[in-house]
Amino acid sequence: MSESIDYEKILSRYRDDPYGYIDLYSQHTGEIYFHVSPGNEVKGLSGKWHHIPGTHLGDIVRERNVKPILSPSSGVVSFVARELEGRFIEAGEKIITIRHPLKKMEIIELILRNVLILFRAPERAKYFFALDIQSRIEKFGQRSVSVKEGDEIFTMSLMKRDTPIYYTGAPGLIHSVYFKPGVTVERGDLLIGVCPPDKLPLIEKIITRVKAEWPS
Amino acid sequence: MALVTSPTLICTPADLVTYIENEEKERRYPGFTTSSIDKIFRYGGHIGSEILFFPFLERGMDEARRLIREYGAENRSFSSGLVIAAESLGSGKGRFRRRWHASAGGIWLTVVIVNTLLPQASRLLPLAAGAACCETALFFGLPASMKWVNDVQVNDRKTAGILTETMIYAGEEYVLLGIGMNVNNTDFPVEISDSALSFRSFLGRECDLGKVLVDLLAKLAWNVGLIYFFEARQLAEEASVHPLIKRCNELCDSVGRQVLFGFNVEEEPQYEALVLGIDEEGGLRMRLSEDNRLVTEYSGEISYLS
Repeated sequence: MSESIDYEKILSRYRDDPYGYIDLYSQHTGEIYFHVSPGNEVKGLSGKWHHIPGTHLGDIVRERNVKPILSPSSGVVSFVARELEGRFIEAGEKIITIRHPLKKMEIIELILRNVLILFRAPERAKYFFALDIQSRIEKFGQRSVSVKEGDEIFTMSLMKRDTPIYYTGAPGLIHSVYFKPGVTVERGDLLIGVCPPDKLPLIEKIITRVKAEWPS
Repeated sequence: MALVTSPTLICTPADLVTYIENEEKERRYPGFTTSSIDKIFRYGGHIGSEILFFPFLERGMDEARRLIREYGAENRSFSSGLVIAAESLGSGKGRFRRRWHASAGGIWLTVVIVNTLLPQASRLLPLAAGAACCETALFFGLPASMKWVNDVQVNDRKTAGILTETMIYAGEEYVLLGIGMNVNNTDFPVEISDSALSFRSFLGRECDLGKVLVDLLAKLAWNVGLIYFFEARQLAEEASVHPLIKRCNELCDSVGRQVLFGFNVEEEPQYEALVLGIDEEGGLRMRLSEDNRLVTEYSGEISYLS
């Protein structure tokens, strides 16, 4: 995204279609069976620890093991790959789309994702900032903490095993944090968004502009 | 630090191989063919390929990290399966910096595995360590069971515990399995005297530490071998039920019990649930008490309510 950002174009895209679309892909190979149809309302994860599963959208049956497909977000089902019903599918096929109305902060985050360097979860696990990063966040605030390639940034906890996760990507400040400590993060989901120092003015401009122009 | 051979806690790699050949293989027959048993022990054959003894260490994990760095600096290849054993630890710890009391008489190990497994397989290493400890306790006559993820308990009192950490050094991933087993030690601090139990306290007699150690390493070689065995079968598309998961479900007494779950359940319990079993990826399947919905957790711990 260049410095000469076309705010009007971006905002009009969200004015025309103020929804977010979450595409769900098969996590495993197996036979797929759907429990929902387009138009059905669904609920996402809930509970203080996001431990209460979302709506049961379907199942993938792999070698007699039934893997439920659960809704990660509240909204309305807008697409179901119904032609796959009962068929054997590979992992990674698009199976369902959930549409949900966007809030102002979500729009800001979606725009920022075009600017920030995004760091994703390597495994389905629980994540915590590394001790050094955590103490710097507590002392100076999240957006004052810089990271660079090779920094130990997270501890990934999986099956009572702690694994250090090292940052890869251009250096910058931790701008957005997309996870909560102690809450399970799916593989590939966003953990943090890092802002290269030269992009900070642009990011501040985006936030100010969206806040001013988007109705609450 | 100079190595001193312990008079009681002693087991050489050759002793381990002999024990596996002469005793442990025989015990694995139900459910496995001779060729599968041979293959599984070959897969786990790196466990105990080198065994180092220390009369005292602050922490086995620290010594393991130091050795990994030292080998790296000297451009030497590290023996996967290397075992660091100490007679006692000065600063043993469990998760969340919980103190682990490790006085003389127990078995305090750090096993270093150079990780060559796929992520879905290596996640099961903590379960393999728990299964091995539980099997050893059973073999020596304790009515032991596993509490997910890998605590070993006798009558709900902890007999063995495992801490697993990962070290990444020079592009290589090392899995450090810290294993603590209360064998002949009985001098527990007062705050854990009701929740910890040693072999000796239960059996009313001392056990030969060397025998317990060689049995534990043989069982660890088997259970780690099962992970490699299943991974190879899975890659060849011959796999069905994971034998390690099947074994853990047999050893685990969490099934059917009402539990409190939390990432750190002592300080921040999250919810109550009924345990249904361990799934094929090692996760704990539960039914939530608040609304009967099914959840599977892959990270955290439980405490028993019933």
